[in-house]
Amino acid sequence: MREFKPQPAQPAPIESAGVIGWIRENLFSNVPNSIATIIILYFLYLIVPGMIDWLFVSANWSGSQQADCTDDGACWVFVSAWMQQFIYGSYPDDQIWRINLSLLLLGAVIAAPYAMPNALRNKVGVPLFLVYPFFCAAFLDGRLFGLEFVSTDYWGGFSLNIFLAAASIIIAFPLSFLWALGRRSEMPFTRSVCIVLIEFFRGVPVLALFFMGSVMLPLFFPEGTNVDKLLRVWIVLILFMSGYMAEVFRGGFQAIPQGQYEAADSLGLSFWQKTLLIILPQVIKVSMPNILATFIMLFKNTTFLLIIGIFEILSTTQTALSNSNWLGGHAAEGYLFVALVFWVCCFGMSMISANIERKLDTSHRK
Amino acid sequence: MIVDNEQAVSQRSDEDVIVIKDLNKWYGNFHVLKNINLQVKKGERIVVCGPSGSGKSTMIRCINRLEEFQRGSLVVNGVEMIEDVKNIEAIRREVGMVFQHFNLFPHLTILENLTLGPIWVQKKPKDEAEATAMKYLERVKIPDQALKYPGQLSGGQQQRVAIARSLCMNPQIMLFDEPTSALDPEMIKEVLEVMVELAEEGMTMLCVTHEMGFAKKVADRVIFMDGGEIVEQNTPDVFFDHPETDRLQLFLSQILQH
Repeated sequence: MREFKPQPAQPAPIESAGVIGWIRENLFSNVPNSIATIIILYFLYLIVPGMIDWLFVSANWSGSQQADCTDDGACWVFVSAWMQQFIYGSYPDDQIWRINLSLLLLGAVIAAPYAMPNALRNKVGVPLFLVYPFFCAAFLDGRLFGLEFVSTDYWGGFSLNIFLAAASIIIAFPLSFLWALGRRSEMPFTRSVCIVLIEFFRGVPVLALFFMGSVMLPLFFPEGTNVDKLLRVWIVLILFMSGYMAEVFRGGFQAIPQGQYEAADSLGLSFWQKTLLIILPQVIKVSMPNILATFIMLFKNTTFLLIIGIFEILSTTQTALSNSNWLGGHAAEGYLFVALVFWVCCFGMSMISANIERKLDTSHRK
Repeated sequence: MIVDNEQAVSQRSDEDVIVIKDLNKWYGNFHVLKNINLQVKKGERIVVCGPSGSGKSTMIRCINRLEEFQRGSLVVNGVEMIEDVKNIEAIRREVGMVFQHFNLFPHLTILENLTLGPIWVQKKPKDEAEATAMKYLERVKIPDQALKYPGQLSGGQQQRVAIARSLCMNPQIMLFDEPTSALDPEMIKEVLEVMVELAEEGMTMLCVTHEMGFAKKVADRVIFMDGGEIVEQNTPDVFFDHPETDRLQLFLSQILQH
């Protein structure tokens, strides 16, 4: 009998590897491709040097007032002079450590699951997350901890954007999962209520929701109670976010094969065991890119709050721009700074989510 | 071996573990199961075959209430199937099920797949559940895969894990819903071997399959279904060699041709 011998694998041909090979194949493979490459390089040549010059070379880096900006380039002095306002708003100087500590805690709560063994992750990591928004709010407010009381009127700056986004996301996550679950429920009443909630908060523009929150919501509270403006905004953000996330989760639910439910049923798992142990982890896995997109959208939407007079970073920037000591057009620097801090945070969120996706991907891990 | 042979023989008794009476089921207006009557004794091995759409899968899925039925009665291990969550969960604990597409949980390791039921449903301590799981993984001959994920295993290995997962719950009855239909020919054998062993140990088994070799080898009774009813049932010898109805004759001539 003839013996079957599998052929050994051979190295790839040399012309498809290496730098020259890559350039030839990707940038100059044919005439249209070469023309496109040259045009793009030309535009980069026109724009990039000027940009670098304005941003870095002839920019003004040191000083504390407008008069220090003597060169032609960007006046970064404007940003550094207003830095505290941009980040912390009008929070009292001697209490800023509370904001810093809260931000650190947020980082710790996010990092904690990575440091924990698998068994503790769900038992400790998740409750930590859920407690954080309430702890953070009480801590910044101060009264509960016997610290100096800081009214929410003084909260502001980029830290407020972060706190609002984080606190809304953390609460909206489980809430929206329940809504999505309710929407799939076979109980007609539960299902209708969830559909109405989801469609309302998804269908109304977020700005309209903010105005409703600041004008209409107080009408529903008992007379005489004065519910904090920021608290109302928080509630609106949670509900708005939940509407979107519920639909993201619904898409995830639909991607789970029926066989998973049947296998869980046939083992005798109860409804909640099945949902939390089998379905939820898989739903999160398939929905991760969309969950992140929703997070980023909400995070950026916190800048809309400037319209209802909350001193988040964008409205702080506008205040700074109209300050009589800084008149004369530092808008580019201010908005670039805002763009930069948002981009850094969103990029960080992307990295975290990519990492989670890799962790959850059990399909091809050898 | 879960039970030795002596026990296996003594386990087979006249006690009916499944009693199905006049079971009828409709999907909307479509009558899928028509007056099904079936008794299964403890330790009995039954193979169900028939053309696709004949209701064979639907019938065995009714036994652990993956499908509802509208008329008739169904008693599993002395518990009547009624519209009650506790009741359904009690029956599901007695009945193991193996699916065509394995349905392992892709986000859990093989070991976690096996211990999930014992830990959460039977409230067993983790060590004990893991020891049992390893015992069954050895029985299906893949203890070395315990820490991998289902996606890293071949179809045959996944199906053996699925069988082990059901066995970990210590079921009285095992249902197999076309367990080898999604497998490559080379993998069918390894799964069938596990099933034959299980049958030899006296497990009560209901198996929807077209593996006629398996039916001849282990079945006590072979059932032929068509159009939602049980057309014929008999011992394998009579079933294959002397089919009573023309319908079964036609079916057999078609599947045995290739």
